[in-house]
Amino acid sequence: MKTLYISIFLIAIVLTSCSESFLDVPIQGGATTKSDPDLAQKLVTGTYNSLLQGDSWGNGDVHGFAFISVTDIASDDADKGSTLDDQKVPVGDIDDFNLTATNKFAETLWSGHYNAIGTANQALLALSTANISTQTKNRLIGEVRFLRGYLYFNLVRMFGDVPLVMRVPKDQTDANNDPAFQTRVNKQIVYDSIVSDLQFSVDNLPLKSAYPVGHANKGAAESMLAKVYMYLQDWQKVYDLTQDVILSGKYGLVDYSILWRQAGDNCNESIFEIETGSYNNSNLGVSNYTVSQGVRVGGMGGWNDLGWGFCTPTTNLINAYEPGDKRKDATIIFIDNSGTHKGTVLWDGFRVPSKDSVQNLYYNYKAYASASKETFVNQNDKDRPKNIKILRYADVLLMNAEAAYHIGGDVSTPLHLIRQRAGLADVAPTLDNIWKERRLELALEHDRFWDLVRQGRASQVLNAVGKHFVAGTHELLPIPNSQIQLSGGKLTQNFGY
Amino acid sequence: MHIQSLIRKILKYLLTAMLLISLPAIGLSQQIIKGTVKASDNGESLPGVNVIVKGTNHGTVTNFDGFYTLDLKPEEKVLVFSFIGYEDQEIEIGTQTVLNVTLKSKNTAIDELVVIGYGVQKKSDITGATIQLKGTELSKQPVLTATQAMQGKVSGVQIISSGNPGSTPQMRIRGTGTMLGGTHVLYVVDGILTDDITNVNSSDIVDMNILKDASSSAIYGSRGANGVIIITTKKGSSSAGKLNINYNSNIGIRQASNLVKMANAAEYKNYYQAATGIAISGPTANTNWYKTILRNAFEQNQNISISGGSEKATYFFSTSYLNDQGIVLKNNFKRITLRSNIDFNISKYIKTGFQSSYANAINENGFNNLDINENGNIGSAFNDAYRAAPIISPKVGDKYGNVSAFNGQVGNPLLDIENNRVRVAANRIQAAGYLDINPFSFLSYHSSIGTDILFRQARLYDYKFLNDETNFDVAGGNQLNSISYLANKNVQNFKWVWDNYITFSKKFDKHDFKLMVGTTAEKFQETWLSGSRKDVPADSDLWYLYNGLANSSQNDGKGDIWTRNSYMSRLNYSYNDRYMLTATLRRDGSSRFPKKNRWGTFPSVGLAWNINKESFMQSQHLFDVLRVRASWGVVGNDQISTDAYTNTVIPNLAYPFSGISSGASNGSQINQIKDPNIKWESTAEYDFALEFGVLENKLSGELNYYNKKVDNALINVNIPSTVGDADHQILTNATSIQNTGVEVMIKWKSSVNKNLSYSIGANVTLNKNKVVGLNGGEPIWGGNIGAAQGFTTLTDNNHAIGSFYVLKVLGVFQDDPEILNYKSSNGTIIQPTAKPGEFKYWDKNDDGKIDDKDRDFAGSYQPKAYFGVNINVYYRKWDFSMDIYGNVGNKVYNGKRAIRINGKDNIESALVYNRWNGSQNPSQTQPGANTGNLLASDYFVESGDFYRINNLTVGYTFPDPFLKKLNISSLRVFITSQNLLTLKKYSGFTSELPGSPLDSGIELSTYPTTRTIALGVNLNF
Repeated sequence: MKTLYISIFLIAIVLTSCSESFLDVPIQGGATTKSDPDLAQKLVTGTYNSLLQGDSWGNGDVHGFAFISVTDIASDDADKGSTLDDQKVPVGDIDDFNLTATNKFAETLWSGHYNAIGTANQALLALSTANISTQTKNRLIGEVRFLRGYLYFNLVRMFGDVPLVMRVPKDQTDANNDPAFQTRVNKQIVYDSIVSDLQFSVDNLPLKSAYPVGHANKGAAESMLAKVYMYLQDWQKVYDLTQDVILSGKYGLVDYSILWRQAGDNCNESIFEIETGSYNNSNLGVSNYTVSQGVRVGGMGGWNDLGWGFCTPTTNLINAYEPGDKRKDATIIFIDNSGTHKGTVLWDGFRVPSKDSVQNLYYNYKAYASASKETFVNQNDKDRPKNIKILRYADVLLMNAEAAYHIGGDVSTPLHLIRQRAGLADVAPTLDNIWKERRLELALEHDRFWDLVRQGRASQVLNAVGKHFVAGTHELLPIPNSQIQLSGGKLTQNFGY
Repeated sequence: MHIQSLIRKILKYLLTAMLLISLPAIGLSQQIIKGTVKASDNGESLPGVNVIVKGTNHGTVTNFDGFYTLDLKPEEKVLVFSFIGYEDQEIEIGTQTVLNVTLKSKNTAIDELVVIGYGVQKKSDITGATIQLKGTELSKQPVLTATQAMQGKVSGVQIISSGNPGSTPQMRIRGTGTMLGGTHVLYVVDGILTDDITNVNSSDIVDMNILKDASSSAIYGSRGANGVIIITTKKGSSSAGKLNINYNSNIGIRQASNLVKMANAAEYKNYYQAATGIAISGPTANTNWYKTILRNAFEQNQNISISGGSEKATYFFSTSYLNDQGIVLKNNFKRITLRSNIDFNISKYIKTGFQSSYANAINENGFNNLDINENGNIGSAFNDAYRAAPIISPKVGDKYGNVSAFNGQVGNPLLDIENNRVRVAANRIQAAGYLDINPFSFLSYHSSIGTDILFRQARLYDYKFLNDETNFDVAGGNQLNSISYLANKNVQNFKWVWDNYITFSKKFDKHDFKLMVGTTAEKFQETWLSGSRKDVPADSDLWYLYNGLANSSQNDGKGDIWTRNSYMSRLNYSYNDRYMLTATLRRDGSSRFPKKNRWGTFPSVGLAWNINKESFMQSQHLFDVLRVRASWGVVGNDQISTDAYTNTVIPNLAYPFSGISSGASNGSQINQIKDPNIKWESTAEYDFALEFGVLENKLSGELNYYNKKVDNALINVNIPSTVGDADHQILTNATSIQNTGVEVMIKWKSSVNKNLSYSIGANVTLNKNKVVGLNGGEPIWGGNIGAAQGFTTLTDNNHAIGSFYVLKVLGVFQDDPEILNYKSSNGTIIQPTAKPGEFKYWDKNDDGKIDDKDRDFAGSYQPKAYFGVNINVYYRKWDFSMDIYGNVGNKVYNGKRAIRINGKDNIESALVYNRWNGSQNPSQTQPGANTGNLLASDYFVESGDFYRINNLTVGYTFPDPFLKKLNISSLRVFITSQNLLTLKKYSGFTSELPGSPLDSGIELSTYPTTRTIALGVNLNF
């Protein structure tokens, strides 16, 4: 009998299952809004992080080499540079408007911007349920919507009509079924959304002085909105917004030569910039921003060079400077081609060898990062991080001047401020002079190509310098072929591609 | 066979002693019984057989001649005869006074007990495709793992070996059945489930049971899809009645079994000038870079075990030391193992035991497969040795030849090895205890709990060296490290598994039932921690983070937990030993899948018919065994990451709001879209087999056909960027893969006379793999080797997984007219910029240009057939064995040749001479001298066929009289060679190239396979 009881007991043990909760194992190390109350705040920071994308040949670029290519290299300010063959595809194709729908850089810009918009939408979703005060919440939402507005502003300038993704898809099926994820909407609707995002930021963000450095603030939102209205040619709004920024008294002009050095990071002139620095004892910045534009070894070689030598200033740009313009030597590194082999000594004392050992004649000084006079956690890394000025006070003054020109306001005062700093005398307040000043003031600052398109003279100016720009097509990049395929043909292609 | 004869000999000497001691006991008998015990297989008398009166301790053992005598009390009616390797026999004495007994050997192929997972079964009752390998076959080879030793021995199992010390060879059982799910075979070591057996000393293994088809592995449910191998380790034996000491050792030399001959300095210069028109002046060395970085390596393996026991307890202890120097400089692998297996018979009803093992393995400067991301530069050294110019010296005095100053992209291979140190130390403890309770003859209960604890520590140190004249013969180049670097990573794994099951077995007349029901639960936990600092001094005694620059510190750490819970059952039914049915059902729950897909059910059914037992077969004498089997089963593959189904926050996406002046703020993103419905891959397999044994089982064999289809295989599906997924991919169950094949095994075993016996076994497997249901039809690119080539494989419907997909070379342009005449149908010159001596590619789509759209399928790394031949010969005291392995029909991609992307890269010597050279050598297959950057084409696809003598062993067992003087039971010495000879078509190092399913068979920086010659000894006291 005893053995029978034992048997029954044993059978009972075997058949007793573990409870279902044994299988409810939370994912280790994967935070959720529930497990981390600060998550919403971190997702906002993560959205800023997405501005640092520079994986140009890979999964996404926002401010990396691809961005440099379509803003500066495509314009008359810079050539592809480097050696003849290096990056002929895709950069050479962008430079010369030999673009196809498989251009990798166009694809990574598309992907990078939508990646960033995805993180913004995720942050907004988390903020909507976050347990924080309404004021803090609105400020954080204001920052994220500022970023989303800026990202769409870039997208609409690059691609024209684009899908307007304003929420997080629940899953793949949701993304497949909702046309918002796959269908392009008219660029006017995109602009409406940009304006709505930026207006919210203007309404909810505090002034620069009341908000931590580096974050989007009211001044940044107003300036960005002004720029958007400039592209929409709503000049009164441009004027009002820039006037508001000017009158806020928070901004001023600084020594032009330090603007693109660490000394000029978040200076008085800065309105919004891509911040770089360090994290986890590593450099944190936009991949390849400096190294792609660094001085490249060539000829006889024999020195550790600074980079790959792309985005070289054109003689057309060099010739555009008036004599005595202080901005010229702050924008361009001139390689010594005199035959005296003195080389070029840069602001920090670094000597670049003469032409015999260098690939190109001119390089972008604004992309130079000093190993000796600037601070980096990883000084030996060739690709040293550099802050990228997205909006600065000079831009606002020039927008103000252009708007004043159209509504009959005071053009001379802002124009005077710009030229005075450059060490130049005043000129007549004509539209041509304003545009020329914009070009030289913002040279190699990712404004020129879109500015030409906005001004309606891209074809005229670019073909004059020997490019093969086709009006009606090359104002926009091609919609990436791969994306059209993945959408099952729902995405349409831009005209002419 | 020879093991049994060894045991017999051991016993002979033992018995002399025992008989002397037991003499006084004789003489008080009331009835004396005597007789001789013989073996059924060869009719020889068996010494040392236990003869015991049933239910008592009263008994004796047979003498040298198999003779026994025993005095019995009147109540003693039944004798039990038992001997290791033979089936026990119970005989009623009745009135007999002479009782001659023939013991049946367990070795007659068909009636071995086979471990089948949560139980054992008679081989003649098995309905699925399982194969057993004995430990003695595995441990005789000078290799690290038993997996490697299996190569060529079992049909349906492809082993892809590697020369890399400390690595586990890749195994594919019946083809590749997954793309992104893990490909690991499930090993069950004394009940502990694992995918790594580098900690198991092969000498400790009794046998390995390989469960090949879904019906046998279905009892392991969601984990069985890649096949299951059950490993049982040794136990002590009470029947031998003696403490056994066993010492095995081998010491040998390893070398690369095959190298590629590169151009020497003169050939190199000549080729370079032909390719560029420029003569190289400058360095004048003549370096063979492979010779520089490779060496003859030393190998040794030492084992000692002690085993024995009584009726109440048995024990087995062993320890081993293995040292496997890599054939690459500085590479070294060492392993120490300890094992203790103890079993107790507590009472008639209760048995318990404990198996535990400890292994300490240290891998220095190797490729490591330990999942710890600290790799040295061995990979670059192999690459660079292929590419480095032979005119540069490796090292002159203490200065390295500056390869990279000469050719910017290639480093000095010797410096690649010497500029860093990597050390990975693993400590692993596996321990399992069990309890068996048998309250009734028809009921048994088994409970076991196993733990697997693994601590791994990795350390990487990069020396500081500048590209100046203190380190190099000339300054410059890009091979430099301006600051030293130390990284550590510690990983801790802890796993437990708890099995409980009950087995009912009952025989009613001719109906034999066995039912097993049980549960198992498993939990795995991992935590890891890593840290690094820069500027750590070069003295290895100072390689601690403590000595580094604190504000260069980086650290990281994470963990993982998963659990499984399963219910399993199996019914075995046989009728009259003729008709067999096995049915299993397992229900698996896993924490790795979303709640709604958490549970899966895995059924199987197998049928067998022992035709030879039928009455109508009794009149024939041809077949000793004739049986047919058919089975079907479903198994799963759950090897995906724990967070594959749910979205998690990606931390460390910080932003430095105030620039460089202060640190960055903590940022996170949710940047992945996951498939919330993800589930395991499931494989359904049919298996049909015929087994036979004829001529008194001298000739036996097995023929299998299988058809295995994997549904819901995991692939990464590309999704539009607008969805907001950073890698633009989503892992989901979206394809089907099919493997069909035939396996044949045949064995001939015979004794010519008393002195000579031999056996020859051969097996061959034909397998066909294809993708049948790629979702959405979008093919998957793989095998990206960068450079000018990019992707080299494409996985698409109706082709094998990871098939090479490249341009087709039509020939070599001989002259300019040929280039100008090579036009598409609309008259476009297809390769207008080509020069004579360059490849003429097939313009598949006839669009007048050569691009990726012209690529076509060019075969796959999966062999059409692979086979093995195993020969054993015993002649007097000599033994000889030879294993041959080979495969045919597979292709390999000569990737290292393909990434020659600089004119200054070296070239294979053969290509210097065979190259197209105008009218002197108007080759149509080899291009003219070139500076590399060739497009991905079938020029790089070569045949992977090879045939190899895997192992050749000759042994000699010393005669008894000699040993007797030395108090040794047995002594055998042997010489063995691993990979003695390989015949292959491939021009590279080896066509055995492991990799993931989408990009295997590509030779880039593969560790060369090695040849070993070793001397060894087996000694028993």
